[in-house]
Amino acid sequence: MRTMEAENIIEMLHITKKFPGIIANDDITLQLRRGEIHALLGENGAGKSTLMSVLFGLYQPEAGTIRKNGQEVRINNPNDATDLGIGMVHQHFKLIEVFTVLDNIILGAETTRAGFLQKKEARAKVEALSERYGLKVDLDAKVEDITVGMQQRVEILKMLYRDNEILIFDEPTAVLTPKEIDELMATMREFAKEGKSILFISHKLNEIMAVSDRVTVLRKGKYIGTVDTKDTDKQALSNMMVGRPVQLEVTKEPAKPTETVLAVDGLCVPSRNHKKNAVNHVSFRARAGEILCIAGIDGNGQTELIHGLTGLEKSSGGTVTLCGEDISRASIKHRGENMSHIPEDRHKHGLVLDFTLEQNLVLQRFNEKRFQRYGFINQGAVREYAQLLIEQYDVRSGQGPVTTARSMSGGNQQKAIIAREVDREKPLIVAVQPTRGLDVGAIEYIHSQLVAERDKGRAVLLISLELDEVMSLSDRILVMYEGEIVGELDPKQTTVQELGLYMSGAKRMDMNRKEEMGA
Amino acid sequence: MKDQGRTLLQKDGTRTVLASLLSILIGLAVGSVLILIVGLFSDNLGLSGAWEGIRLVFFGILSTGRNATGSLTWGFNPQSIGNMLFRATPLILTGLSVSVAFKTGLFNIGAPGQYLMGTMATLAIALGIPSSALPGPLIWLLAFLGGILAGALWGCIPGLVKALLNINEVLACIMTNWIAANLVTWFFDVNKVFQNTVENTKSGYVYKTAYGRTLVDGAWTYVDGNGVQTAKLGLDKLFPGSQVNAGILIAILIAVGMYILMSKTTLGYQLKACGSNRHAARYAGISDKRNIVLSMAIAGALSGAGASLYYLSGNTEFFWSTYQALPATGFNGIPVALLAANHPIGVIFTGCFMSMLNIVGLQMTNLTAYNEYITDVIISVIVYLSAFSLVIKMLLTSRRRGKRAVASADNTPDAGNVPVEDRGEIQPVSDAAGKGGEQA
Amino acid sequence: MTFLIQQTLLYAVPLLIVALAGVFAERSGIINLALEGIMIFGAFVGVLFVRIMQGTGLFSSAYAVRNWLALQGLELLAMLAAAAMGAAFSLLLSFASVNLKADQTIGGTALNLMAPALVLFLIRMIANQNTLGMADGSDAASWFMLKKSTFGIDRDTDLGFLGETFIHRVYLATYVCLIVFVALSILLYKTKFGLRLRSCGENPQAADSLGINVYKMRYAGTTISGALAGMGGFVYALTTANCASTGDVAGFGFLALAVMIFGNWKPLNIAGAALLFGLFKCIAASYASIDINGDGVCMLATAPISSHLYRMLPYLITLVVLAFTSKKSRAPKAEGIPYDKGQR
Repeated sequence: MRTMEAENIIEMLHITKKFPGIIANDDITLQLRRGEIHALLGENGAGKSTLMSVLFGLYQPEAGTIRKNGQEVRINNPNDATDLGIGMVHQHFKLIEVFTVLDNIILGAETTRAGFLQKKEARAKVEALSERYGLKVDLDAKVEDITVGMQQRVEILKMLYRDNEILIFDEPTAVLTPKEIDELMATMREFAKEGKSILFISHKLNEIMAVSDRVTVLRKGKYIGTVDTKDTDKQALSNMMVGRPVQLEVTKEPAKPTETVLAVDGLCVPSRNHKKNAVNHVSFRARAGEILCIAGIDGNGQTELIHGLTGLEKSSGGTVTLCGEDISRASIKHRGENMSHIPEDRHKHGLVLDFTLEQNLVLQRFNEKRFQRYGFINQGAVREYAQLLIEQYDVRSGQGPVTTARSMSGGNQQKAIIAREVDREKPLIVAVQPTRGLDVGAIEYIHSQLVAERDKGRAVLLISLELDEVMSLSDRILVMYEGEIVGELDPKQTTVQELGLYMSGAKRMDMNRKEEMGA
Repeated sequence: MKDQGRTLLQKDGTRTVLASLLSILIGLAVGSVLILIVGLFSDNLGLSGAWEGIRLVFFGILSTGRNATGSLTWGFNPQSIGNMLFRATPLILTGLSVSVAFKTGLFNIGAPGQYLMGTMATLAIALGIPSSALPGPLIWLLAFLGGILAGALWGCIPGLVKALLNINEVLACIMTNWIAANLVTWFFDVNKVFQNTVENTKSGYVYKTAYGRTLVDGAWTYVDGNGVQTAKLGLDKLFPGSQVNAGILIAILIAVGMYILMSKTTLGYQLKACGSNRHAARYAGISDKRNIVLSMAIAGALSGAGASLYYLSGNTEFFWSTYQALPATGFNGIPVALLAANHPIGVIFTGCFMSMLNIVGLQMTNLTAYNEYITDVIISVIVYLSAFSLVIKMLLTSRRRGKRAVASADNTPDAGNVPVEDRGEIQPVSDAAGKGGEQA
Repeated sequence: MTFLIQQTLLYAVPLLIVALAGVFAERSGIINLALEGIMIFGAFVGVLFVRIMQGTGLFSSAYAVRNWLALQGLELLAMLAAAAMGAAFSLLLSFASVNLKADQTIGGTALNLMAPALVLFLIRMIANQNTLGMADGSDAASWFMLKKSTFGIDRDTDLGFLGETFIHRVYLATYVCLIVFVALSILLYKTKFGLRLRSCGENPQAADSLGINVYKMRYAGTTISGALAGMGGFVYALTTANCASTGDVAGFGFLALAVMIFGNWKPLNIAGAALLFGLFKCIAASYASIDINGDGVCMLATAPISSHLYRMLPYLITLVVLAFTSKKSRAPKAEGIPYDKGQR
């Protein structure tokens, strides 16, 4: 029907987008061909999400133009994007949790009669789409009650319901099981075959190699290049992304584990979201001198397990023994006497963002003798200690110890937390996703710190969602699935594929037997 | 990188003071406009009446009344200034009360209730102990401590329900305010001995503490000049004709004490940690629940102390049938704290400013056809403005933050993360799981 | 029983409508702590409107012949005026919280301080006392109350229980409020507008990504809230305070907030909660009334329980009820958080 079909359905030319203090996108050009799957690759903070937000009308660029079918267009808000047929599955789903699936799909594109919602027609249309693409959803379920994978299907259906022809997927695989990832890839190929054009944002090279036709690479807000997937390989892409050859293997000696530091027996932690236990009769041992990793897909009870161990959440059964002492009922403070905790959410738990760096560095220790006298804080001692840590752990900030934590970069905030926790010199270090959202340099640093602590004879309990991190950093792997430990693996013996099977619940060991054998 | 180039204007404290001064100015201006409009619509006021009103709003503290020809006269008015200091005493303390709760992330709108409970305890002790049993100063001290304790206990209630049941402290405070108002009325209704029957011209008042409980002809009666009152320390000579007493000095001392507590001690550190990030405090082993209760108890104690100092002056009376009204002094602690940006030393000055407005209100009632409520309007405008003066300051801070992040960072700040402000409890989870790198 | 039901309704209906006002604001994402202040303001505006109308003499002939159509029209107009000015007053809150991203609690508190101050200032200027009532000492009942005589029914005719309860000695305002309550509940749940409004209180980022203007929706929610609270304030003054404004509604706006929380932000539950609270308020207010009612309220007065306890009861019960429901209650997720387009 179109008389003049341009090769590129969308062109983003020389886009520059600045935020106070940073240039998130610096003269970036991206050309999306009709019917292709185009990957956008870059590290955290490379500017991928910003660029997509510009395309989706959430941000206005300072410079650059956007063309659709060769025609220059202005996209001032998501409505404009929708009118141009652009749809987006956001990294953090944009769903109303208390609404039903159907209400979520029609929201913003409602059919009405005299202002009243007409849901019947909408339902028929959604059902047809769901049928056609095999995207099974329960239209009357509330979004808060369905799985993350199904929530993503709702997001995809939202785009289809609006007849979008340009589909943006922002880091869509982070929350999916390996099987769901395969299904998503198949769906994306199906869309491409029908002539829809797909932008696929990721930093996972395997997936990009598997599904995309072309790749555009960004680094630190700059455009690096666009290559055909078939002409490149993972190492080349990795070098483009980071800007230097990357040594991804963690170098470490074999572990020499000694005595048990942490013993968990039959631990149960109730869930906040449903009636069942989020952690269901979990038992394991963590020994001095080893990095024990708990692997699993997000939301299988890892967070609750850590909360149960650290005391942030009350356990409903079982015992936790730390350094020979039963701490199942102990206060958070008491548990902290033998345990360091690098928390999952550094903004929520890790830091008081309005405090200065030095105040944050003594968050657990301000009551120690060296930092206070008769209840008065010894400011000099705090300052001295902070300066020591800042130097030792290379924490960079604007004004040194008196910098407000909020004003520091994510990597340095995390470094400060690591410095604080590691320097407390406790027999057990609990590290929950310690490298989340960081760039390669910071990741390498944190990995080396954890290995160094292990070699000092500490027990490191690592929670990670990243298979590569799990495989390269840990000495022993426990896999968690639906609140239970379903397998214990040796990273040197196992493969990512096998790990994936345990993580998705397709395979499980009899842990009771295993334990007997180990004892 | 050190900020050597920072001028006085860019300093945080300076900006706070400027924001507060601006709020005050706008508040006074809005009051003036209201006076003008009402004046123009009124038959007996007109433009000249309005002009008098406006001058009084700004300079009422320096008014000395009217001269023979009926025009306003101005000058140093020791009575006004002394009364300003006297009325500032409870305001400073309720202001401290609100600000200490603010620092712990709580909005203590319960100051009126705590103030009432403090009043009740103070008066009950001061008037209940026979003046023959104990020396006056000791009764004074007991009454003062009683007021503090009652306020603290009353403040604990919203603190407890917030900590244990996570009930919004604002609603809990409002409810405890009205419960206090009814309780106090009930108490003085039942205990008729405290009701002033000596001065028959007034009904519904409790005795001044200057009246002492004395045995006369075998019966307990209240006699004037026999009781308990705050020492004047010569301040009455400085400001003749005013009610001022040493209470203002005690209030200032308490403010300095609060400053030390909040900024120099581990307790203050804990309270502030809970206030700015309850989750992080808990994570670090600081009991958030304990600190919430503690903070509200301290807040209540301060409000109670304010009530004690006000009513222990010896010549202030308490209208006991108060079940339909809450004391404005309690609510006015909110603007006092907000204007001072919750800084305990700042509260001394903003407390004086608020009491100056009170005096101005009285001058308006006495000297013009306007009434004292105009100053309440001004106060509410100031509170309204302070709701977003915090926000404006936050914007300025976040702009600087962006620049510094670049200047100092060894890695580029996460572009998606930079504009995200944490708001304590409710904050978007900043990154999804699985950002790390599958580069192998 | 009739007396008890009527009295309960008198208190429950303003609570109901003001709690719904809270729902509209909070479902759009704005905490409206200013309900109390807006009620005070609405009551003042309504009473002032009635006074002015009385002053113009437009209604004196209607009153003289008890032309109830005209008088009820005046009542409705006054409600409308109160609603309009309540909405206008609430714009101060919307502006601060939507445009300036202010702390909504402080903003609401400012309005709660401003309303009584402004109202008392003006009342004193107008009436030279602290109460603004109807003109010339006339009372609300004789002007606005629907009675048997209004409908030309003889005073001695027994209308049966339903008739006596719901037709005799009632105010039209009560029924108007009930109709408005039902209509707006439908608006909230069955229309495009309602769906979008609710989405803004739950996840404004999501709403924005779907092209919904969050700012406009929040303005809409708060403005409806202001109108309802203003109207509720006047209805409260009309039906329980003899159409007088005193710069005070005795914490009624906060009770409405509690009703809203107790009702879990859902209209049907709120209706139940409002009736419950209305009953307590009614007991508190009329325990000592010497009405010849014979339905037990008088018994309460003669019981050896202090009147102070009854007065305290609504607040005490609110606290207890909040304590019991707090675990289960589910506030709109995004309420109280300013929405900034620049943030995602």
